[in-house]
Amino acid sequence: MHETSMVRRLIAMVATEADRAGGGSVSVVRVEVGAMSGVEPMLVQLAYEQQIPGSRLAGSRLEIELVPLRARCDQCGVFEVPQFRFGCPRCGSPRTVIVSGEEFHLVSFDQLLECGEPRE
Amino acid sequence: MTENNANPPPVKTVVVDRDVNAAPRQRAVELREEWTRRGILVVNLLSSPGAGKTSLLEATAKHWCGRYAMQVLVGDLATDRDARRLAPWAPVVQLTTGGACHLEAPLVERGWRELPSENCQFLFIENVGNLVCPASHDLGEHLRVLLLSTTEGDDKPAKYPKAFRTSQLLVISKTDLLPHVPFSVEAACADARAIQPELECVAVCARSGSGVADWCAALERRRAALLAAGTGEVD
Repeated sequence: MHETSMVRRLIAMVATEADRAGGGSVSVVRVEVGAMSGVEPMLVQLAYEQQIPGSRLAGSRLEIELVPLRARCDQCGVFEVPQFRFGCPRCGSPRTVIVSGEEFHLVSFDQLLECGEPRE
Repeated sequence: MTENNANPPPVKTVVVDRDVNAAPRQRAVELREEWTRRGILVVNLLSSPGAGKTSLLEATAKHWCGRYAMQVLVGDLATDRDARRLAPWAPVVQLTTGGACHLEAPLVERGWRELPSENCQFLFIENVGNLVCPASHDLGEHLRVLLLSTTEGDDKPAKYPKAFRTSQLLVISKTDLLPHVPFSVEAACADARAIQPELECVAVCARSGSGVADWCAALERRRAALLAAGTGEVD
């Protein structure tokens, strides 16, 4: 269960960026979780909800976008990988390269503009 | 209702678009560069608990018999049992994760700084026994090795795809038990290669020493390739 430590890292990353961006409270955090990222979305959500009370992100919501596992065959192009079988489904070539599905990315977050805060 | 309440609170969206694990990944890249410069081939050993990682390292040291200088970092949740087993064979530092299911680059670096700074050609990192979490963490290794013991069953590769996909060498261990267990080396390797076609497969028995020469030769080849790539300063 390494989601706990990764979510701790995510929260620290958002807190740092939120301070840098101007200080209002954070309402929504958006992440992408790939099908072969090694993190389980449900456990990420759970760890997030457990860790935010009392933190810089208290009261915020986490939105997880699932990213399918895709690979590219030099001959046939990009395909969705079925059941972690990485061979090209069209030509059968075993030599394919993963193009998405391994990420655990912080995409963006929404920050409330407090009364009197300049919009820049 | 006042006008203020009717409007949603003003919000700005801050786009970050960054890997949550960017910091440890960057550390791993820097460590790999340092090890490459020093001509040390670094091997990250992954397996389930009890697949024989420590026994394989003991057999490796016996086989080399001082011809190559090896050092070891061993990761476990608790105890220094593996470090004590390996201490007669090579300089070793035990990394205890205190409950964490995997090693990360900063912990590996701390352990490595405790090892003798001279005389190392192979650094083995014995990861925490676990086929899930360690697969997601680059430790700066040059070679990721997955051990699969014959008692675990030849159907495991497809069940743990990330561990197999990210490895370059598969060691089938405990081959002395093959007559007693329903395990096909060919089936296990074929299943693993459907996930990772470049995977090299070696079958060993650490107790009898069978296959250990092949395993050591594979390591020696990989280190020679690393040095030939040009950036290694041989000690």
